[in-house]
Amino acid sequence: MTTSVTAAPSPPVAPVTAGGIMRHLNVVTGIVMGVLLATATWWVTSSTFPVLDEGDHKDDAVTILTLVAWVIGFLIGVGAFVGPARWLLGRDLTVEDEHYLAGKDAGVARYFRFTTDHKVVGMQYLVTTMVLFGFGGTLAMLIRTNLITPGSRFVDPATYNSLVGIHGITMIIATIIMVSGPFGNFILPIMIGARDMAFPRLNALSFWLLFAAVPVLISSLFLGGISTGWSAYAPLSDQANRGMDAFLVTIVTFAISTGVAGMNITTTAVRMRARGMTWSRTPIFVFGTVASVALGLVAFPMFEVAMIELGMDRGMGAGFYDPSIGGSGWLYANLFWLMGHPEVYVILLPAIVALMEITPVFTRKPLFSFTSAILGIMGIAGLSLFVWAHHMYVAGWAPVLGGPFMVTTELISIPTGLLFLVLLGTLWRGRVWMRLPVMAVYALLWNFTIGGITGIYLSDIPVDQAMHGSMFVTAHFHYTLMGAGLTGAMGALAYWFPKMTGRMLHEKAGAIGFWVAQVGFNVTFMGMFAVGLAGQPRRVADPGTYFRVGNLISSIGAYTIMLGMLTFLGAIIYSWRAGSVASASPWGARTLEWQTPTPVPLENFEVLPVVTQDFYGYGEDGHRAAAGAPAPGTPGGPGAPPPQGPDAPPQRVEVGAP
Amino acid sequence: MKSLVGIGATVLAGGIALGLTGVAVSRAQSDPSTVTAVVKGTAQTPQGTVPHAFLELQTWPDSMAGPHGKDGGPHPDWVSYGPGTHLVLPAHSLVTLTIQQYDSGEEITNHYFAKVLGTVDGTETVDGKVVSEVDPTAIGHTFTLHGLAQDGQDELFVNAPLPAIPDGAKNLANGYPEPHVVTFSFLTKGPGEYVFNCEFPCGDGTYAKFGGPMSTRGYMSGTVTVTS
Amino acid sequence: MSTGRHEGQRLDTRTTWRRPPVLPILVIWAVLTVLLLLFAPVPARLMGRPASPTMQEIETTVTWFTGLSAPVAALVWAILLYSVFRWRHRGPQPPPEDGSGRRDNRRVFTIWVLGSAVLCLFLLVWGLVVIAPRTSEANPAQEPILVDVTGQQWAWSFTYPDEGNKSATELYLPVGQTVAFRVTSKDVIHSFWLVQLGIKVDANPGETTVATVRPTQIGTFQLRCAELCGLYHSYMQTTVHVVSVADYEAWAQSPAEAHS
Repeated sequence: MTTSVTAAPSPPVAPVTAGGIMRHLNVVTGIVMGVLLATATWWVTSSTFPVLDEGDHKDDAVTILTLVAWVIGFLIGVGAFVGPARWLLGRDLTVEDEHYLAGKDAGVARYFRFTTDHKVVGMQYLVTTMVLFGFGGTLAMLIRTNLITPGSRFVDPATYNSLVGIHGITMIIATIIMVSGPFGNFILPIMIGARDMAFPRLNALSFWLLFAAVPVLISSLFLGGISTGWSAYAPLSDQANRGMDAFLVTIVTFAISTGVAGMNITTTAVRMRARGMTWSRTPIFVFGTVASVALGLVAFPMFEVAMIELGMDRGMGAGFYDPSIGGSGWLYANLFWLMGHPEVYVILLPAIVALMEITPVFTRKPLFSFTSAILGIMGIAGLSLFVWAHHMYVAGWAPVLGGPFMVTTELISIPTGLLFLVLLGTLWRGRVWMRLPVMAVYALLWNFTIGGITGIYLSDIPVDQAMHGSMFVTAHFHYTLMGAGLTGAMGALAYWFPKMTGRMLHEKAGAIGFWVAQVGFNVTFMGMFAVGLAGQPRRVADPGTYFRVGNLISSIGAYTIMLGMLTFLGAIIYSWRAGSVASASPWGARTLEWQTPTPVPLENFEVLPVVTQDFYGYGEDGHRAAAGAPAPGTPGGPGAPPPQGPDAPPQRVEVGAP
Repeated sequence: MKSLVGIGATVLAGGIALGLTGVAVSRAQSDPSTVTAVVKGTAQTPQGTVPHAFLELQTWPDSMAGPHGKDGGPHPDWVSYGPGTHLVLPAHSLVTLTIQQYDSGEEITNHYFAKVLGTVDGTETVDGKVVSEVDPTAIGHTFTLHGLAQDGQDELFVNAPLPAIPDGAKNLANGYPEPHVVTFSFLTKGPGEYVFNCEFPCGDGTYAKFGGPMSTRGYMSGTVTVTS
Repeated sequence: MSTGRHEGQRLDTRTTWRRPPVLPILVIWAVLTVLLLLFAPVPARLMGRPASPTMQEIETTVTWFTGLSAPVAALVWAILLYSVFRWRHRGPQPPPEDGSGRRDNRRVFTIWVLGSAVLCLFLLVWGLVVIAPRTSEANPAQEPILVDVTGQQWAWSFTYPDEGNKSATELYLPVGQTVAFRVTSKDVIHSFWLVQLGIKVDANPGETTVATVRPTQIGTFQLRCAELCGLYHSYMQTTVHVVSVADYEAWAQSPAEAHS
C-alpha cells in the first residue's frame, strides 16, 4: 500500500548509530509501554483510593487516570519525549539523528514510528481519517438500521444512545482532521515551498496523540458506551456510566493534538513561505487551512476545559455542573458551544478552500475575486466566535440575548455568500475539464446551498422553537458537515492523490462511488428534514409510527451512501496498490507542490523556489496555451529535475538559489 | 477488469463487515428475561367481562436474587426488578400485578409519583390495606408504565408507588427483610409496545441517583408487550 | 450576474443580458425559481396544521423564507446546471486553451455583497419584529393560566396552581386562553416541546424557565422531550388535550382522574 512513497535513495549513508534509542522505539513499544503504565496506574489507584461515603467517584477517578496513563505511556513508548529529554540532558539530537527521525531511507517502517517528515505524518493522518470514517460510518448504518421500522428492537435504547454518541464524536474528530490532517501536513508545506513544517517533532506528536486517543475512544464501547450523545450535556454526563470517562479523556487528548497541530501549521504558514511568496501570492488553501486551525486554537480549549471540569465532577464530586451543590448545566452548555460553533467552520473552511484550489485548475481560469475569498474566510472565522448561543435559544439561559445572537448568526450568511461567489465566478464561462476533483465542487455547491438555507430557518428564534432538537437540525448539519465538508475532502483526496501516492485515482470507479454516495446522501437527509419538520426529536431510539415513511426513506438513502462510499474506498485501495502511475503534475496545476517530483523527495525541493507571481495566472498574456498535462501513466520518476522537467507546465515560478 | 474485482471485493468486504458488526451488536445486548401474565378466569369490569391475568414481580435491593444469575451478574450491588423485566400482557384484559418490595428507601423527588395512578379505582393494596397514595417520604420504588403516542396504539399509563422497608428491618432466612406486598389491577387496551421504569431515584452514587441500574436495561426499567 | 466580455471572443453587439450564457442561465434560473416557489408551502404542510398563533407564525415564516431563498438557490443551481451541460470539456486532456484571465469584476462583487446584505437585513428585521411581540406576550391583558411543568427522567407531570394544585401526567388546556408554563426539571436537562403548538423550552434542574402559548385548536397533540435525557428519552412524551373551556372547567373540578 505504501510502496510508492518510498524515499529516494540518496548517497551519504547515515551511520548505523543515528537515532540512538529512537532506533528501538515504534508503535509496538508504544502500545506495550502504554498498557504497562495503564495497568500499573489502575492497580495503584484502585488499591489506594478511598471509597467516599457519598457518590460513586472512585471508579471514575480510577478509569480516568488509567486512560490518561495509557496516553502518556504510549507517548513515552513511541519516543515522543526522547528529543526534549536529550536536550535537557545536554545531548541534543545531531543532524544524523534528525535525518533518522525524518525517516530517511527507512521504507515502510517509518509509518509506524515517531517520524517527523511532514509527508509521513500526512499519510498517517490520511489512513487514520479513513479508518475513523469507516468506524463512524458503520455506527451510522447501525443507527439507520434500527430506525428502518418503528418499534424495532434491533438495538435497545441504551445501546442506541451509545451508537449515536460514538458515531457523533468519531465523525466530529474525523471531519476536523480530514483536510488539515492529511493535506495540511503533506501538501501545505510543499505548497508554500518549505522543506518541512516549522516544528517537525510537534508534528509527529500531534499525530501520535490522535493515535493514542483512538483506542481510548473505542474503549468507551466496553465501558458502557457514550450514552449522552456527543454533546454530552451536563448534568446527564455527570450521571452517565464510565464510557463518559473514556469520552472525556479522548476529547482532552484530541484537543491537545489539534492545539499542537494548529500551532505548527500556523507557524509554518506564517514563517516558512518561499522567498517572494507574499500574502497576496499565497494560495488560498493556505489561508483557509490556517484560518481553520487558528480558529481551532481558540475553540478547542473551551471543550478541553469543559471536559476537565466534567472529569473533576465525576472523579471527585467537584460539582461544576451539579445544580444541587451550586453548579449549572448552562456553564457546560456555554463552554461546549463556545467550541461547538467555531468547530463547524474549523471543519468547513479547509474543505471549501481545497475546492477553491481545485476549481481554477480544472476551469483553466484564475480564482475569481481572491479578495472575496479572503474576506469570506476572515468574516466567517471572526463571526463564528460570536454565535454560539444560537444553540441555546430555547435553553432558557439568557432569553434577552436571543436577538443579538440572531444578528451575528444571520450576518454569517454574507461572508458565506462570498465563498459561493468565488466558486461560481471561477466556474463562470470556464471550460470545465470534468475530472473527479472538480465534480466535488458541483456536489458541494448543491449541498451547501441546502445546508445554508436550512441554517437560516434555524437562526430565526421563533422558528427554532419548532425545530431545535429535532431531526431537522440533524439533517441541516449533515448537509453542511457531510454534504459540504466531506464532499470537499473527497474532492481534495482525488486531487492530491497522485502527488501523495504516486498513482492516479481510478476515475470511473471513484466517480461512480462519489455520485452514488451523493444521491444517497440527498435521499437520506431530505427524508430526515421531513421527519424533523413533522416533529421527530433527535436521538430517539424509537420515533414511533408517525414518522414511518420518512425514516424508511432515510434508511434506504443511508444504505445507498454506504454502497457509494465503499465503492469510493475500493477505488482508493485499488488505485493505491495498482493504479496507473502519475506524473509529477497530472493536472497541469501551477502551485508549488506540483513542481516537485513524485514521489516527493525527503526535503521536498532540491533548491528552494522563488515566487514572482501568484499561482492562478491562467489565461494571462503569453500563457494562453494551457499546460500540457501529460496523460496519466507518464512517471515523473524520482530524481527528475523538478520544475524544468518536460512535465511541468510553463510558469513564472522562478527557481534558483535564493 | 482487475479494478472491478478489487473494488467489488471492497464493497463486499464492507457489506460483510457491517453485517457481522450488526449481528454482534444486536447479540451483545443481554435480552432481559420475559415474564408472561397468566390468565385465570374472567373479571367483571365497567368494560364488561374480560379475561383476568395475573403477574408477580419483585423489587430487590441487589442483584443476587433477580434475573442476573447466582453471582449477581456484572453488578451484584445494583437494585433490580425480578424475575424479569420484559412483561407480556394480554390485550383487553384486567391485569392484576403483585409486587413484593424488599428494598429500603426515602423521600421521592416528585411527590406526585407517590400517588396511585391509572389503576382500577385509582388504588392499590399494600399488605392488604387499600390505599390511593403512600407516604412520599418513605418510597422504595415505583412501577410506572407508559408508552409512545403513536397511531394504532392505545395509550396506557399506570403508576404504582411501592413503600419502603424501614431501615434496620430484620432479615429473614433468605437474607432479605419481610417484603411489602403491593397489589394493583389495571385494564389493558389494544396490543402495543410500552415501557416501564421506576420513578424513585435509586441509582445510588450517580448524579440525581438516576444512573447505573436506573439507566441500564434489565434492572429498574423494562419493556411491556401487550399481545392480542 | 455577468462578467465582462470574454477576451478574444468575436464581438457580439447584443447587450450583456441577451448574450449567452446570460440569457439561457436566466431562463434556467426562472424555471428553477418557479419550481422552488411551488415547493415553498411544502415544509409548512409537513409541520402539520398549526394549533396556536405561535405555530401559525412559525409556519408563515418558514414558507416566506423558503420562497425568498428560492431565487438564491435557483441562481446557484442554474449556473451549475449550465456549467455542467454547456461548459464541460470532455476528454483525458485539459482544454487546449486557458480560459479568460479575468480575475475580478467589481460590479458583480458589489451587486453580490449588496444583494446578500439586503437579504440578511430582511431576515434580521423579520426575526426581530416577530420576537418583539413575543416578549410582551408575557404580560397580556388576560391573566394567563399557570401550569407548573416538571420534567424528570422519563416522565412529565403538571401542576395547576390555579386549580388547587391539581396534578396530572397528561396536559389539559382550555382553547383560546393564554397559558404560561413554568418549566423545571428534577434531574437532568429535558426540553418541553409542544409539537403542534410550536413552543419549546428546556427544563433545567434548579432553574425555572417560562413559555407561553395560546392554543386555538381543540384536539389531541403531542408533548415530546427534545433533549437527550437518558435511557427512555424517546418514551418521554405525553398527550396534550386542548379542550373547550367548559370541558376544561369540568376536568379541573373532577377529582384526581383515573387514567383509563
